[in-house]
Amino acid sequence: MLKLIEIKDLKTNFYTYEGIVQALDGINLSMREGEILGLVGETGCGKSVTALSILRLIRPPGKIEAGEVILRLQDESSQSKDPIDLLDQTEPLMQKVRGNEVSMIFQEASEALNPVYSVNNQVSESFLLHRQKELCRDVLKKIEQDLGKATSFLRRIILKMERRIYLRMRENPSSSWLAILSFLPIVRSYKRRMVNQARIESIELLRILGIPHPEEVVRRYPHQLSGGMQQRIVIAMALACSPTLLIADEPTSNLDVTIQAQILDLLQGLREKLKTSILFITHDLGVVAEICERAAVMYAGHIVEVAPVHPLFRKPLHPYTQGLLKSVPRPGEKGRLQSIEGNVPNLIHPPPGCRFHPRCPSVMAKCSERKPALRETEQGRFVACYLHHQETEKNDT
Amino acid sequence: MREAKSKYHFRNEVRKSLKPRVEELKFSLHRITRSPLSLIGLTLILVFATVAILAPQLAPPKRLYEPYQIPRDGYAATPQPPSTEHVFGTTEGQYDIYYGVIWGTRTAFRIGFMVVGATMLIGLFLGSLAGYYGGLVDEVIMRLVDIFMSIPTLILAMAIVTALGHSLDNVVKALIIVGWPIYARLIRGEILQIREEDYVSAARAVGCPNALIILKHILPNSVYPMLILASLDIGAVVLVAAALSFLGLGAPVGYADWGQMVSFARNWIVGPPQNPLAYWHTITIPGLFMLFFVLGWNLLGDAFRDILDPRLRRR
Amino acid sequence: MKAYIIRRLLLLFVVLFGVSILVFAILSLFSPEQRASVFITDVKQLRDLQEIIQTHHLDAPIHIQYYYWVKALLRGDLGWSITAQRPVLEAFFYFLPNTIELALFSAPLIIIIGIWLGSVSAVHQNKLIDHTTRTLAIIGWSLPTFWFGLMLLMIFYGYFRGLLPPEALSTKSNLYVQSAEFVRYTRINTLDALLNWQPWILFDALRHLILPVITLTVVQCALVMRIMRSSMLEALGRGYITTARSKGASETTVVKRHARRNALIPVVTVSGWLIAGLAGGVVITETIFSRKGLGWWWARAAVQLDIPAILCAVLFNAILFVVTNLVVDLLYAYIDPRVTLK
Repeated sequence: MLKLIEIKDLKTNFYTYEGIVQALDGINLSMREGEILGLVGETGCGKSVTALSILRLIRPPGKIEAGEVILRLQDESSQSKDPIDLLDQTEPLMQKVRGNEVSMIFQEASEALNPVYSVNNQVSESFLLHRQKELCRDVLKKIEQDLGKATSFLRRIILKMERRIYLRMRENPSSSWLAILSFLPIVRSYKRRMVNQARIESIELLRILGIPHPEEVVRRYPHQLSGGMQQRIVIAMALACSPTLLIADEPTSNLDVTIQAQILDLLQGLREKLKTSILFITHDLGVVAEICERAAVMYAGHIVEVAPVHPLFRKPLHPYTQGLLKSVPRPGEKGRLQSIEGNVPNLIHPPPGCRFHPRCPSVMAKCSERKPALRETEQGRFVACYLHHQETEKNDT
Repeated sequence: MREAKSKYHFRNEVRKSLKPRVEELKFSLHRITRSPLSLIGLTLILVFATVAILAPQLAPPKRLYEPYQIPRDGYAATPQPPSTEHVFGTTEGQYDIYYGVIWGTRTAFRIGFMVVGATMLIGLFLGSLAGYYGGLVDEVIMRLVDIFMSIPTLILAMAIVTALGHSLDNVVKALIIVGWPIYARLIRGEILQIREEDYVSAARAVGCPNALIILKHILPNSVYPMLILASLDIGAVVLVAAALSFLGLGAPVGYADWGQMVSFARNWIVGPPQNPLAYWHTITIPGLFMLFFVLGWNLLGDAFRDILDPRLRRR
Repeated sequence: MKAYIIRRLLLLFVVLFGVSILVFAILSLFSPEQRASVFITDVKQLRDLQEIIQTHHLDAPIHIQYYYWVKALLRGDLGWSITAQRPVLEAFFYFLPNTIELALFSAPLIIIIGIWLGSVSAVHQNKLIDHTTRTLAIIGWSLPTFWFGLMLLMIFYGYFRGLLPPEALSTKSNLYVQSAEFVRYTRINTLDALLNWQPWILFDALRHLILPVITLTVVQCALVMRIMRSSMLEALGRGYITTARSKGASETTVVKRHARRNALIPVVTVSGWLIAGLAGGVVITETIFSRKGLGWWWARAAVQLDIPAILCAVLFNAILFVVTNLVVDLLYAYIDPRVTLK
C-alpha cells in the first residue's frame, strides 16, 4: 500500500509575550491509505498543533518553521497523482485541499459550529465549496426535466437562461461573468437551485451517517442539538467531500461513553465504506486500543514511539510509553497507581536532547546531549530512544 | 460544625489574598509603561495635572479671592491675536486666553473628579444594594436606572440645569444626577455575574462567611471595570460640561472654563475677507486644550481596558 | 412574537410613567409663579398671575397637580413655548423635519462606516491600518462636538469663502422653497427637492448638510468602530472560524460570512445607544450650524428657561429611546437564533 501522507521533520513555533514556544520539534510521521493511526499524548504535547500544521491552519503568533508534509492527492477519477509538499503550496491550492482531500473534526463540537447558521447551511457549505461541478450536473438534469414540463413562454425563457448559467458554471466555476451575475439583486436568485441541490445532498449525507429525521435536523441550529448530534454534524461537514484523510482531534473526549461508542463505530465504518484514512488524536489509551491499527506516542513536541497497537500495548519500548501504560488503571488490579515522576516540561525552555530525559528512569549521559532520532527497531516499530539504538545499529548491519 | 474563627484569621485571609494581587499590580504597571499609547495618555494627564497645580504660578490671578475670573484688558469687542502681552491672544471682550486655559485646566479637573467621584460612590452603593439583595430592592433601583438612562445625558442635564439655575455648580449637580446609573448598572452586573461563578460557590461550600466573600472575591473582581469606566468617564463628563457651558448653561461669562471660552468664539469664526482665519486663536486654543485633556483620559482608559482585562493581559 | 411586542409596549408605558414622574419632579422644582409663566402668552396677562395659578391648580397638592398635568399632556397640550411662540406640540412638528433630515443622512453613514472600519481593523490587527483607524477613532471620540463643528466652519466656510455654509439652505433657495411654486410635501428639504424635481435645491440642501453630517458622524462613528473591532476580534478567535478554514473556505468568506454575522450582534445592541447619542449631538450641531431643528429649539429653550420646551425634549427622547430599544431587541432576535423572545 502506498504512503498517503508523510510528515518529515516538522517544526512549529509560537512567538508569545513570554518567549518562543517550541511546540513541535521535528515531527516524523507517515500514514498509509486506509489505515487508522492513533496519535497519543498528554494535554499540551502538541497533538493539535500537529493536526493544524498538516492543514497549514497555524495562525500568528504561530509559525511553521521547517519540514515537509508530503501528501498524495487524488484526482477526479480517484487515481493517485504525484505527491506534493503541502507546506510549499499556494494558499488557493491549500483551500482546495482543505475540506476536500484532508478534513478535520474537532474536540468541542459546540464551539466548532457557527451559532447563527443552520445545520443545512453549514453542511451544504462543504458541498458548495468543493463539489460545484457535480451540483451543476444535477441541477442541469433538473432544469431539463422542468423544461420538458414547462408550458408558458416566459418560463421556458427563464429556464433556458438558467441552463446557460449552469453550463457556464460547470465549465468554469470562477468566471468573472458569474461573479458579476451573483452581485445583481434579482438575477442572483439563480443560485437558489444549487443551494437546494446542496441541501438535498446534505440531507442524504446525514441519512448515510445514521442521523434520524435528517430533513428536520438540517433546519435546526447548533444550540438546539445535543452534544452527540453536534459532533455528528461536525463529522458530516468533514466527510461531505469524501476526503482521503480525516484528522480527528479528540472527537469523543467531551462526550458520554455511550455516544462515544456510537461515534467510534461511525468512524470505523468510514474506513470500510470510503477507504478514508483517519489520524485519530486522543489522550485516551482505551480508545486507541479500540479502533486504531497503529499508534504514535507523542511527548512535548517529539514523536517518541510508533508501533502497531497490540505490540505497543504488550511490549512498550520507550520509557515514556511504559510509564503511560503503567499509570492506566486496569480492572482487577489493586494497589497504588504508578505515575511518572516530574512534570511536563516548559516548551519555551525545553530540556536539551531528549525532552523526556529529566523524568526518565533509565536516563543516560547522551540523552541530554542530542535528541535521539526515530529509528526502526523491528518490522514496523519505531522508537526514539538511545536504549534501543544499539538494536537498530545491529539491524542496520 | 464550624469552630469560632479568631479575628486574626479574617485579617490573615485578606492579607494572603493580597500577595498575588500585588504581583499582578506590578505586572500591570509594567505593561502600562510598555505600551506607547498609554504612555502618551499618562504623559498628557501628568502635564495637565502639573498645569493645574501650578496655575497660580503660571497665571497669577489679579484678584486673589476670585482666581477663576479671567482678567480683562479693556472692553473692546474684537479679539486680539497672540502677542507678547497676551501669549494666546484675547477673546471678545478682551479676556486673556492664556489665563483662561490655564485656570480652565483646574476647572476641568474639579468638574471631572467631583462628578466622577460622586457618581462612582452613589453608583457603587446603589448597585451593590441591588446586586446583593436582589428582589424588590433590585427591581426598584433598576427601574430608576432605566428611567434615567432612557434620556440622553446632554438633554437631561440641560433640563436639570434649567430647573436649578445656570451655574457651574448646578452643572456639576446635574451631571451627578445624570451620571450615577452607569456605575450602578455596572457594579450590579458584576456582582450578579460573580455570584454565579464556581469559585464563589466553592467559597460558600467551605463555609466562607458572606462578608469575606464580598471582600475577597466579589469586590476585587469588580474593581477593574469600574476603574476603566471611571477613566473613560472623566473625559466624557468634561466634554458634556463644556458643551453645557458652551450653550450658556454653565459657567458665567468670563469664568475660566474651556467651554465658556469657545462660546465666546462663536461670533468670530470668520474674520474679515482678507484674513478669514484672523481669530483662529479664540477657538483653536481652548479647543485643543479640551481635546488633549479628554484624549489623555481616553487613552489611559483604553490602556487600562487592554491591560486589566484578564483575558487580554497575556497575549 | 406578537405577545412579546405587546408586552414590551406595555413596559413602554411603565417606563413612560416613570419618566413622566421624573419630568414632573423637575417641573416642581420651579415655583408656582414660574410655572404660571408657562401659560402666559401675552405680557398683559401678568396681572392675572394669581388667577392663572388658581385655574391651573399650581398651588394644589403635588398629586393633584400631577393629575392635571398628565390630563393636559394626554390632550396634547404641552404648554406654550416662548422660544417658538407657539404651542409646544405644534413647535415640535415644525422643527422635526430639519432634524429628521440630519439624522437620516448621519445614521446610515455612522453605522456603515463604523462597521466597515471596525471590520477592516480587526482583520488586519496590529498592522498599520489597524493602528491608524484606532488612533483616528480615539481622537474622534475625544473631540468636543461643538469645537469640531466650529473648526470645520472656520475652515470650510471662512477660509474657503463660503464653500460649505451653515444653516439649512441658502437665502436664495430658501425664498424659492417658501414660494408657491415649491410644494412642501414633507418639509424635509432634500426629499422635497427630489419630489419637486428641483436638482439645484437638492444640491444646495446637500451642500449645507455636509458639515453638520460630518460633525455628527465622526464622534459617533468612533464608538461603533471600536465596538465592531472588539466584537470582530472576539468572533475571529472562536472555534467555528477554524472549522470554516478547515473546510477550505477562502479568507474573505470566513471573514464575511462567518465572523461578521456573529460580530454584528453586539453592534446592534449599541445602535440603541447611538440614537440616544445622536439626540445629544443634534442639539450642539444644530446650534452651531444654525439649522432650525429640534436641537436648536431645545438649546435656546434651555437658555431662555422655556420650561415646556425642555420637558418636551425629555419626554420625546425617552419615548424615542424605549421604542428604539424595542426595535433593537426584535432585530437582535432576528439575527441571533439563540435568542428567544421571552
